Amino acid sequence: MFLARIDGTVVATTKHATLSGCRFLIALRLEADGSTAAEPLVVIDWLGAAFGSTVLVSTDGDIARERYGNTTPARMVVAGIVDQVQLEQESSRRTA
Amino acid sequence: MRLGIVRGHVTLTPSVPELMGLTLVVLEPITTANLLANNGLGGGKSLIAVDALGAAKGQTVGFTEGREAANPFWPALVPVDAYCTLIVDTIKAGKP
Repeated sequence: MFLARIDGTVVATTKHATLSGCRFLIALRLEADGSTAAEPLVVIDWLGAAFGSTVLVSTDGDIARERYGNTTPARMVVAGIVDQVQLEQESSRRTA
Repeated sequence: MRLGIVRGHVTLTPSVPELMGLTLVVLEPITTANLLANNGLGGGKSLIAVDALGAAKGQTVGFTEGREAANPFWPALVPVDAYCTLIVDTIKAGKP
């Protein structure tokens, strides 16, 4: 699982039959320093994540398999919308 | 799911029986910088994926990687780790 920022939407008429009606979003994976990963990801959203919001993305396809059946290629799903992230202070992370 | 541009197709002779009859496409993944610049370029490291949607050269697809890529062939066991899940119509990314 990782944190990502929602940065757009994808419209796709032609897709795997199990995924009709799905909402696809563009997610940029976040690093600890707030920078984003080099490649964007397409994630499935059931929770209604808004543009710019930070979400928790799960890369385990089992939850999608439960919903769309055993033959679905769906994998990355928005598992939650983040309220707050608290990172350890740089000073307390050091362990002499 | 990552995004990739279809750059061509691959045929195999011979191949393992599990891959016979499958369409293989060469994909060039799209980087975040190229997506936000909307310049039609890929920029990622090429890979081969199974395509059952009939994506044409130049089209952008979303492809699943990992174990989930073999789910559409369930319960058959196939040596597939990338699968074209959707063909992109439009992407809205960046500031709305």
